[in-house]
Amino acid sequence: MTRHCLTQEQADEYALGVLDHDVEAEMAAHLRDCDSCLAMVESSKRLAAALALTVPIVRTPPRVRRRVLFATGIFTPGRTGQALRFAPAAAALAAIIVAIAAFSGMLSVRSQVSDLRDQNSALKAQMENVRTQEVELLALTERLSETERRADALQVAANGDRELLVAMMSPQNDVAAVISREPYSSAIGTLVWDEEQKKVWFVASRLRVLGPNETYQLWVNSEGNFYSLGTFNADNSGFARYQTIVPQGLRTYEYAVVTIERAGGAERRSGDSVFVADLLGLRR
Amino acid sequence: MLAVSGGDECAFAVLYDRYADLVYSASLRVLGDTQLAEDTTQDVFVRLWRRPEAFIADRGRFMSWLMSVTRNRAVDELRSRGRRRKREVAAGGATDDDRPLQVPANSDDDPLGAAQLHEQQALVRKALAELPAEQKVALELAYFGGLTQQEISALLHEPLGTVKTRIRLGMQKLRRSLEDRV
Repeated sequence: MTRHCLTQEQADEYALGVLDHDVEAEMAAHLRDCDSCLAMVESSKRLAAALALTVPIVRTPPRVRRRVLFATGIFTPGRTGQALRFAPAAAALAAIIVAIAAFSGMLSVRSQVSDLRDQNSALKAQMENVRTQEVELLALTERLSETERRADALQVAANGDRELLVAMMSPQNDVAAVISREPYSSAIGTLVWDEEQKKVWFVASRLRVLGPNETYQLWVNSEGNFYSLGTFNADNSGFARYQTIVPQGLRTYEYAVVTIERAGGAERRSGDSVFVADLLGLRR
Repeated sequence: MLAVSGGDECAFAVLYDRYADLVYSASLRVLGDTQLAEDTTQDVFVRLWRRPEAFIADRGRFMSWLMSVTRNRAVDELRSRGRRRKREVAAGGATDDDRPLQVPANSDDDPLGAAQLHEQQALVRKALAELPAEQKVALELAYFGGLTQQEISALLHEPLGTVKTRIRLGMQKLRRSLEDRV
């Protein structure tokens, strides 16, 4: 070392640059070899430098910036300097704008896709609902048709019953006595003969419900021959009501008989007799 | 500063924008001449760009180092031209008429840096304002005037010992006020 270590006062004086040249040079030589003194001087320099912060701030003329950038080789003609200053910010801003636009667009597209999916789901649900309603409506229609058919059948039956009732009440008609035969003695029946209108009603109850290959067939005996007046079947309760027209050409008839024949009816009587009705006692 | 050391031009531009006004203002305060202050500012930043290794982070903050460099360059310029700002001596600083038009520092581009700078400026100004006037004058003549203690003594017609005491006491008080804050 070229001299003794510095005091804080000397370090401050050195940092402020207020020492005479000779003293300052001597201290500088010492500082080159003494880290502790150098550290103390550096601290004093920092404190002294703080004084620079007390100066009123004056805006640097823009030309200084251009000169500095030119001297450092950073400057390029035109607006590069300005661009250099703002380029990062502009680029960042542009990137942000693009990102926001892209993000917004993506969000918008996603939102639209999501909306379309929702709408599609809603439409599918509506279509499914419509299909369900169509099925229900079809079922209701079928039930209605069935009901209508039943109603028509009931109406027909009602009309038939009314006609039968009128026929039975009419003094012009005859009601023949009907006898059931073994083993069908539990069955009961009535035959109404309308000579004027050439109609015949046969009503029976407690009939055996026949199988699909069987049927009841009504016959009339005239001059020793049996003539078919048609076939009929009993319902599940064993009731049957049959109405038909008296065949033309028949002038006399002795009795009627109901037999069980094969399904579709037989040309000749061959089955067992269920009922026999005496027609000789009818008024002619 | 690390980026500047790596040759990052954008970082240098940012650094310039943050500190140029302070460097220019300090230079102007020392030199009292806008043209010389511009030259000094240019010189400081060009040297910084060309020799960034001159700043050693372990020895203190960048701003302190930059202000030291600025002040030394300005004082060197002052001394090399043999000029002294004697007009500041009597008043202990530049008069309002002598000072260039003052405008607020540009904080648009670096609001955080500007805010930090303003905070430190306020701290130091407050500490300096708390000094007795004779100590404040002695420090300003030393720092901004580039005068030696002998020159200050002669200028103020005060004994050298008195000037030394004022500077010593002034630095002590500043140190106490600004310890670890600047």
